[in-house]
Amino acid sequence: MEEFHPHSDEMTFNAEEAHNIVKECIEGILGKVDYNHNKVNQWTATIVEQSLTHLVKLGKTYKYIVTCAVMQKCGAGLHTASSCFWDTTTDGTCTVRWENRTMNCIVNVFAIAVVL
Amino acid sequence: MIPNKIQVFPSSDTILKCQKTFNNQIPKHDTKLYFFPFRMRSSSHEVHGTEPMDNESFAEFGKSEIFTLKTSMAKIRYANTYKMEPYRKFQAHLVRNKAQHILTQRLQETKYNGVTSIFLCNSISEEILTAVKDMGFDRYKYVVTVLILQKSGQAIKISSRWVWDVARDNWVSAKCETESFISLALITACYYE
Repeated sequence: MEEFHPHSDEMTFNAEEAHNIVKECIEGILGKVDYNHNKVNQWTATIVEQSLTHLVKLGKTYKYIVTCAVMQKCGAGLHTASSCFWDTTTDGTCTVRWENRTMNCIVNVFAIAVVL
Repeated sequence: MIPNKIQVFPSSDTILKCQKTFNNQIPKHDTKLYFFPFRMRSSSHEVHGTEPMDNESFAEFGKSEIFTLKTSMAKIRYANTYKMEPYRKFQAHLVRNKAQHILTQRLQETKYNGVTSIFLCNSISEEILTAVKDMGFDRYKYVVTVLILQKSGQAIKISSRWVWDVARDNWVSAKCETESFISLALITACYYE
């Protein structure tokens, strides 16, 4: 009995494609606005949900984790680091940094392959 | 006419593949090609077909080339275990306590410093990853993210969403706050077979 292989044997995460998707989402939501404490909640939630929807629409058999941090520009330092225990041939990550006059935005996308 | 490259045609069904990868020129009809060790074989394009190949005539060179090509393309396939759940499922409370312990131990006494925070951040995330791996939950992939944020009266909002298996995947967060900075660790565990 033939095993079902939905894609070719080489399945790698396309970081560039993810980068473009996320960048478009951010620019659509934060493009023309200044930092507003009341709306930040809504912005981060929308960015993450939209990015996730677009990533899932790619149709690949991946689990996605999307993290977004929006910080007001104040001269303060922010450091992020991540370490992952996964299969480096199939899984991948992508980070998008975006800023404007009043705020910084960092979005991390982690994609973990699912073997069907 | 002796061509510049030595072309290898080990068996009839892989002839075209080899031609694509190793050979940019299509040999002419009357070209004779040379194998190691010094046997003459006719080109696959000749009308009367190829001569029968016996195993001895396979060049060492040719065989290893094909082997490396096949292994580089081959994907390792495991036999089915018919096991749907991990032996030891991810236990969030244990991981949270451990991550909290690591953060407070490393960061309680320190002050925020722009230069050292980079290394601190990296080393803490690696330490947490090693600790979680040592806990021995099988069939899990982990992603550990550590953030160190200087306190200076600004606001920050961090949100995460995911598409995963709700029954088996889980996440944990741990926070450590001092006078000069806040640090946050996010640990996600994804089940895989």
